Amino acid sequence: MTRTGETETGDLYKFFGSLFVLISMVTALLFAACDGEGSGDEIPPIRAGGDTSVENRTSFAFEEPAANLSEESFEKHAQGDITFGDVFVTPPAVVNPGLGPLFNNVSCESCHIKNGRGLPEFGNTGLRSLALVRISDPGGTPDVPGGNPPVEGLGNQIQDHATFGFEPEADVTLEWEEVSGTYPDGTPYSLRRPLLTIILPGGEPLGSNYLTSVRVPPPVIGLGLLEAIPEEVILAAADPGDEDGDGISGRPNMVWNNITSTTEIGRFGRKASAPNLRQQAATAYSEDMGVSSPDIPGGDPVPEIDEETLDLTTFYTQTLAVPLRAQTDDPDVVKGEGLFFDLGCSQCHLSLLETGDHELPELRNQVIQPFTDLLLHDMGEGLADHRPDFQATGREWRTAPLWAIGLTVTVLGLQNYLHDGRARTLEEAILWHGGEAENAKDGFMSLPGEERGKLIKFLQSL
Amino acid sequence: MVSKKRILSIVFSVLFFLSCGGGGSDDSGGGGGGGNNDEFLQRIIDDYVDNVVIPTYDLLRERSTALREACEDLEADPTEENLDAARQAWFAARIPWEQSEAWLFGPVDFKGHDPALDSWPVNRTDLDAVLESDNELTEQFVRNLDPTLKGFHTAEYLLFAFEVDELGSREFEYLISVVRDIESTAEELYTDWAEGDEPFGEIMKGAGNNAVFPSQVSALEQIIEGMSIILDEVANGKIAEPFDNQDVEAVESQFSFNSRQDFANDVRGALHAYTGDHPGLGLIGTGLNELVAETDPELAQRTEDEINEAIAAILAIPQPFRDAILDPDAADEIVAAQEACRRVFDTLNEEVLPVIQQ
Repeated sequence: MTRTGETETGDLYKFFGSLFVLISMVTALLFAACDGEGSGDEIPPIRAGGDTSVENRTSFAFEEPAANLSEESFEKHAQGDITFGDVFVTPPAVVNPGLGPLFNNVSCESCHIKNGRGLPEFGNTGLRSLALVRISDPGGTPDVPGGNPPVEGLGNQIQDHATFGFEPEADVTLEWEEVSGTYPDGTPYSLRRPLLTIILPGGEPLGSNYLTSVRVPPPVIGLGLLEAIPEEVILAAADPGDEDGDGISGRPNMVWNNITSTTEIGRFGRKASAPNLRQQAATAYSEDMGVSSPDIPGGDPVPEIDEETLDLTTFYTQTLAVPLRAQTDDPDVVKGEGLFFDLGCSQCHLSLLETGDHELPELRNQVIQPFTDLLLHDMGEGLADHRPDFQATGREWRTAPLWAIGLTVTVLGLQNYLHDGRARTLEEAILWHGGEAENAKDGFMSLPGEERGKLIKFLQSL
Repeated sequence: MVSKKRILSIVFSVLFFLSCGGGGSDDSGGGGGGGNNDEFLQRIIDDYVDNVVIPTYDLLRERSTALREACEDLEADPTEENLDAARQAWFAARIPWEQSEAWLFGPVDFKGHDPALDSWPVNRTDLDAVLESDNELTEQFVRNLDPTLKGFHTAEYLLFAFEVDELGSREFEYLISVVRDIESTAEELYTDWAEGDEPFGEIMKGAGNNAVFPSQVSALEQIIEGMSIILDEVANGKIAEPFDNQDVEAVESQFSFNSRQDFANDVRGALHAYTGDHPGLGLIGTGLNELVAETDPELAQRTEDEINEAIAAILAIPQPFRDAILDPDAADEIVAAQEACRRVFDTLNEEVLPVIQQ
């Protein structure tokens, strides 16, 4: 047998092994719930966030503590709520000093509106900048193994705001050009493509040899659960060489852990470039707000936030509840669910995963429905930012979790989807799928309009 | 060879259908009843928007204008009396703002009016630098500043942290632009709810026909959540943070010594939201209290009583709040106020919400 053949067989055994375990546990869960209740009783639904789930479909849906927190965790979450909401100001100051001198915005909540997503907006309007631009120098040297080579003088991110008296790194303008198309059935649609302008303080544009990527903040719910998914589970769904020939070749992003100085699976961020939530938080404090921490002291002898604050903010993002799906027996939603699977969306937007071990007991062994495999996928030329990020190519993106996506417009008041917020509706987001998702997208487009609507209704119920 | 992904997909789809397809209570319509019930729910939503939210925002813009005028009078004639009048105007404008924190959703969030009006702390380092700079401190200039350099708390700092003879022309220039910016923002906030192409008030009243409020019940849940969130915020944020840490600097309206009034108005806003009344403006309407009373009159009344008790408990904290947090004799009252707010929170979430969701 060839080496490839042996690997395949071994892989299959492992795969079916873990699948068997998962099915057994889930089936046991379902039947256990039915036990003793007599026949004909409803099987309780598997909840989006497992035991962390809450029932809340209001605009505050993302701001609830996980439902299963111990009393101690609940107290800690409440303190993390405060640190996550801290508004930073220029030092010296008695309360929350440490902002800047360069920054994108002044608090976590300023961009992650109501703990949800931001908007593709830059500048000085009421909301200021709710998105940011990542940059890198393809001809440069990475700061960390496998990392993104920083642009000299600017780093890996443009900070377009500065404390008074300092100059921001650049002025960023985001405009759009409409791109129209037609469904096979003749229905027209319109998408929009970003047109980014970055002007440096001298008035000249950022060099065109540098790579840029507009990033809108994603929601911060369910992140602890995603942190608790075992590596084997993520890897089990990976198929980098598309050995099974189904057109899907998801692979993990292997990224640098700044604290352990090792490479490990990335999970967070649009290209899964952060391995854990603490690194995500420390990087955000530093890059987005100019606030130093024990993990990223940036030359400050005393970091601007202390260990306790960094820990609390991280804890807060680990312990937010996931809101349950909308309760409905609308037959269109049920039909839409079926389409989601038939079209192949579920091959990357995995609907069922189980968490394993985690330092927080509340996150362990939860059966969850995040609708993501946390893997990178080539999404085609249309959606590419052409900016590699660790092992992610310029065409690859981490599968976005779809849990609670139906709450976007309730929480934010507006819709925007995908890494740069270009999609104004869920339908537009689907239409941008290409590359590995081309077949699924084609399948969607070929459906009659009414059926397409049902798939959208399903997504809106999440 | 069948792909791993395909196997996973099929398995998951079977499990998914076993678990989530269908089932669950029907939330696709209104309160689950016939036309009468839908009309009743509609009245509650309408009165919430028309009696409570919009009139409060209307009052806010009126009082923001009065604040700006009082500051202009002060600039023209910087006397003790005019400073006092400007300070009173600031207090008056705070009342509808704090009440509106019982519904921190909609344009106040997604247009950034909340940070523009109420950011805290104030960026004092940059504020001093702005005052010392050569920049012309126009309204447009202030509008472009970070939210921590404008809004109510910046105006508070300028109005309350200085004696009248400490306010120079630069301070006045800045103050006038700040209060003009507050006035403009309050105007926008009102317009966003009440006027224009797609006022948010109409979106909320159209609950059941749009994606923001997919059903009438979702709008009612939103009302309760708004109340619930502010009660939690008052007890566990605004009071707890300075009190637990014995930290005066963490008190929000510390220069004006207005914290208790702020907190009490937060809860008053919740009372208006619950009853659909704005008694101060002579507006009486149909509220959630009446919906709850249909099922459980005792609960409906108890909820209202608990909200009133929370207001009273807050006002029982010795004045000023920033001193009370350090005074061992005041600890009981402070804790009692927190407990009273938490009691309402629990009642709303554990008892009222399930009734609404029936």
